[in-house]
Amino acid sequence: MASLAHRPAGQLARSSSTASNRSRSNSIPYNRQAPASQSATNLPQNLPQEAAYSSQQQSAHSSLDSQKQQAAAEQQTVTEYQGPVLRSQYPADSPENHVEYILVASFDIDRGSVMEHQYPGPISGDENMLAELMLPDQAHMRNQDWTIFFLHKDTTAEDEAREERNQRRRRRRRRKELEESGATGQIQDDVVDDDGDDESEESDDDAEGPPLIYVLNLVNTKQDQSVKRGAIVKAMAICTRHSFLHIYKPLLLLALEEYFRAPMVEKLASLYNAVNSMDLSLMPRLTPLERHILQASDTKDMFVEKFSLMIQQRMAEDAQRLSQGSQSSTSATTKYQVPRDTHEFESRVMYNGIPVPIKVPVAVTPETVGDFSLIKLISTFSTPHSTSPQAFTLHPHLTTSGPMTHPIIVLINALLTQKRVIFLGHNQPSGSVAEAVLAACALASGGILKGFTRHAFPYTDLTKIDDLLKVPGFIAGVTNPAFSHKPEWWDLLCDLPTGRMKISPKIEQAPITDGMTFFQQGGPGASAASKDSSLNGGHTSSANQNDPTGDNAFMESIVSSITNRHGEAVIRTKIRAWVHRFTLIAATFEEIVYGASALHIGASETDADAYGYGVVGHGLVWPDEASRMRDIQAQVGRIEGWRQSRSYFSLIGDLARAWERGDALRGIDLGYHIERLKTLRVGDAAAADVYLAMSRAVERAGLDPDSAEWEDGADEPGPGPGASGLEVRTHEIRVARREKARYDVINQLLVALPESSGGLFYLSLGLFHKDTVVRMAVVRLLERIMVHEAGRHFWASLGRFAKLAFFRIKRDAEGGA
Amino acid sequence: MGTSISKMLDKIFGSKEMRLLMLGLDAAGKTTILYNLKLEQDVTTIPTVGFNVETVTYKNTKFNVWDVGGQDKIRPLWRHYFSGTQGLVFVIDSSDRDRLDEARTELARIIQDREMKDALLLVFANKQDIPGAMRPDELSRRLKLDEIARNHLWKVEPSCATTGEGIFEGLAWLGNNVVPAK
Repeated sequence: MASLAHRPAGQLARSSSTASNRSRSNSIPYNRQAPASQSATNLPQNLPQEAAYSSQQQSAHSSLDSQKQQAAAEQQTVTEYQGPVLRSQYPADSPENHVEYILVASFDIDRGSVMEHQYPGPISGDENMLAELMLPDQAHMRNQDWTIFFLHKDTTAEDEAREERNQRRRRRRRRKELEESGATGQIQDDVVDDDGDDESEESDDDAEGPPLIYVLNLVNTKQDQSVKRGAIVKAMAICTRHSFLHIYKPLLLLALEEYFRAPMVEKLASLYNAVNSMDLSLMPRLTPLERHILQASDTKDMFVEKFSLMIQQRMAEDAQRLSQGSQSSTSATTKYQVPRDTHEFESRVMYNGIPVPIKVPVAVTPETVGDFSLIKLISTFSTPHSTSPQAFTLHPHLTTSGPMTHPIIVLINALLTQKRVIFLGHNQPSGSVAEAVLAACALASGGILKGFTRHAFPYTDLTKIDDLLKVPGFIAGVTNPAFSHKPEWWDLLCDLPTGRMKISPKIEQAPITDGMTFFQQGGPGASAASKDSSLNGGHTSSANQNDPTGDNAFMESIVSSITNRHGEAVIRTKIRAWVHRFTLIAATFEEIVYGASALHIGASETDADAYGYGVVGHGLVWPDEASRMRDIQAQVGRIEGWRQSRSYFSLIGDLARAWERGDALRGIDLGYHIERLKTLRVGDAAAADVYLAMSRAVERAGLDPDSAEWEDGADEPGPGPGASGLEVRTHEIRVARREKARYDVINQLLVALPESSGGLFYLSLGLFHKDTVVRMAVVRLLERIMVHEAGRHFWASLGRFAKLAFFRIKRDAEGGA
Repeated sequence: MGTSISKMLDKIFGSKEMRLLMLGLDAAGKTTILYNLKLEQDVTTIPTVGFNVETVTYKNTKFNVWDVGGQDKIRPLWRHYFSGTQGLVFVIDSSDRDRLDEARTELARIIQDREMKDALLLVFANKQDIPGAMRPDELSRRLKLDEIARNHLWKVEPSCATTGEGIFEGLAWLGNNVVPAK
C-alpha cells in the first residue's frame, strides 16, 4: 500500500515530463495556418460555382492528411523536433499504473463472502467489506452480474509526508532549471505556467480529498454438481483510478472465465500485466475548454491536429532513438494512425495472446464514471410520469414546480441540495442500479458541479447501512427492497422497476433563510417579481405563468430530443446548459439578496469595464427586471438548498482557482454579450459595441493591460536586424505566448457559441452591420477562428450566406486598399 | 389512490396481507421452502447471496416471504428485516443435532428483539425425510420454545421442503392467526 501515490494522474504526468520539455506552449495552430488562410483567399474566385466551392472546402480538409504525411516524411530527415511539445494524458513513462489491483472473491457456503486473492498485494481496508461488495445480493439468481463501487482510500500520514517531499523536490527542480536556462528562464517559465492550466484543473480534486479508486466487478455463478450445494460463485474486480473503467469489461470476462478454469493467483497477475501494458501515450491532453468543445461536437476530426502532433513527436523520438543506435528496431516499423473519431482513443490489450480492442474516451468531464446512459435514466422516470403523474409530498428544495414537478427535476433538485437519494432495483442486476447512480451523478453535475461521485455508492447493501447513514447526502444503488421500508434512511427513493420516485415522509424540513424571506409574499423580491411586465414583451410572462422555473419546458425539450433520437451527447449538452444556467441564476440571486456572489468573480471590474473593452454587464440576460425577479423567485428553494451543499462550495473553489490562474478572460463576460445578441433587440450601436469588444478580446489576448499595445491589440514589434540571439528568442516566446492566449480566448468564445445553438451564426450577423469598422472587426475575428483547430469546424458549418458576406467584405476591403 | 381502492376491496373480500421473514442456519432449507411455496415444485437451490423475496397467495392471504442467507457472518444483517414483520418462519434442519444449540441461540436473539414482539413464530422442523430426524415435540423441547418464545404464539410444523409436505399447513396456521395490519 505504501507505494500508492495519492495524487491524480495528471500531476504525476506533469512532474515526470517537466524536466525534459520546458518551453512548450500547448497547442499553437501554427502549422495549420497556411492551408486554411490560403483557402480563404482563393475562395472568392470560385464562389459562383457552388460545386467548386464545396470541393475547395473538402480539399482544405483533406490537405490536412497530405500535410500530415508530409510532416511525417520531414520528421524522418529532421531528427530533432523543435516545435512545442504536446503532452500525453497518460505518458508511457508515468509511474502510475492503469490498474492498481486485481481482486478475486468467492461465496463460501460456510463462511459467506471471502476474499480469495489480491494482486499485486493486499489492498488496505476491510477485506470482508470488499468481498461482500464483490458478491452483490442475489448474485445466486443470475449467471453474471456487473457492479461498480468506489473506494475512498484515505491518505495516511506516511503518504502525506511523501507528497510533501515530492513537492519540495519539484520546486527545487524548477529552481534549478531556471538557473540553468539563464536570462530567458523567467519567460520560459511563464510559458510553462500558462501551459499548466489543465494540471491545476486536475488537481482540483485534491480539494475534496484523495482521488477515488473505481472498482469494476464481475460476478459469475456456475452450477456445478460436483461441489457441495451445487454452485460456485466467484467475482473478479479491477481497481483503477480511471473513471472510464468500463473499457475493462471484455478483459474481465475473459479473465474470470480463465480463473474458473484454474483458480490461481497467476491468473490475476497475467491480467494485471496485460492491462498495465496498454499504451495510451499517444492520447493528447486537452484543456477543460477543449474537452468541453470536443464533447459538445459531433465532428469526428475535432482536434485531430493534436493527435497528429502527438504522432509526429513520437516519430521524432523514435528517429532520435534509432540514430543513437539503441536496439528498438520494432518502434521504427510501428505504424501510428490518428483515430477515426477523435472522441475515442483506440488502443488494445494483449491478453493470453488475444488482442482485445479498447476505446478510451478522450474528453472525460468531471463526475463521469463508467458508461451510463442519461437517456435511459430519464426515460425510466419520465414515461410513468407522462402516462399517469403522481403528486409528490411538497418540499421547498425538491418540488420546485409544485406537487406535479417532473421527477427528473425532483431528482436533480435532491442532488443539488444534497439529499439522501436511493435507487432501488429489486430483481434487477446490481449493474443496473449502479448505472442509474452513475447517470444521476452526471445529471446533477452537468460536467460543471463536483462532489457527487465522491458521495456515491453505485452498489451497496444492508451490510454497509451504518456507514452509509453517516454520510450527509448520498446517492446509493441497492437491490434489496428492505430499503423501501425504511423511510428514515433516505430523502428520495427512486424505484427503477416502476419508474416512480417518492419523497420520504420523514425528510427534514427546509430551514427558512434570508433569501426565502426576501422572496416571500410581501418581501421586496416578491413585489418586484409581481410587477407587470406587459409593456416589455408581456407575451413571455403569460407563457411562463404555469412554468415559472421553465423546468417543464426544459423537460419537454429533453423528452422530445429523446423521442427524436438525438442521442446521448445532445442530452448531455442540454443538461450542461441547464446546470450552467442554474449556477448563474444562483449567482444573480446572491447578488440581489446578499450584495455579491463568489460565483461571479470579477463582476465589479467587468461591470466597470476596467479593461476598456467598451461593454459592461455580466451574468444572465433577462428582458426586464420583473421577469428576472420572477425567474429567481421560482428557484429560491433549491438555490438556498444548494448554497449549503458540497457541490456549491467546490464550484466556488474551482472558480476561484481558475480566476487566480487567469484561465477566464477578465473584464468581459462573453457569454452574457452573446446571449444579449441572441435574445434582446439591442440596437445597432449596442451590437457594434459587442462585436468590437469580442474582437478586442481576441486581439488583445496575452497582452499585459498596462502595455502600450493593449489599446489596439497590435502585435509587438519584432527584434531589429541587429538583435542578439537572446532577443530573438525572447520575441519568439512572446509571440508563442500570445498565440496560445489567443487560442484560449477563441476556445472561450466557441464555448459561448455552441454548435447546437447556431454556432458562429450570431457572430456572423456582425458581417451585416452598417458600420464598416464593425464589419472589418468581425471579418478579422472570423479569420482568426477559421485557422483555429476547433474554430475551423465551426466555420465549416456556418451558412453559405454568411460566408458570402465574409468574402465580399474582404474583397471590398482589399479593393479599397 | 389505486392502492387504497384495492385495500378496500381486500377488506370486502376478506383477503389479507402478511409479511413473513424466513430465517435459519445456513443449509437449513429456507430457499427450497420458499420456491416450493412459490412454484409448488422442488427446485435445486444454491446458497443464497443476500436474500430472496417472493409473494405467495394462499387461501386469501398474500404472503410476502423474505428469505435471508444464513451464513454466520451475515446473520447480524437479519435485524434490518425485523421491522414490519408479522411472522417469523424459522427453519431447522431436524437431522443436524450438532448445530441445534446454535440454532436455539439465534432464534432466541431474533424472537426477543423489540421489533419482533408482535410476530407469530412458525418453526419448520425440516428435512423430516432424513432417517433419525427429530420430531416436532422433541425439537420444541430442545429449542426451549416455552421459555424463549413465551410471549409469542408459536407452532412447530414437521416439513419436508423437497416434497412440500407440511409447508402449506404451516402457512395456513400463520394465515389463520395473523392480526390484520392496520
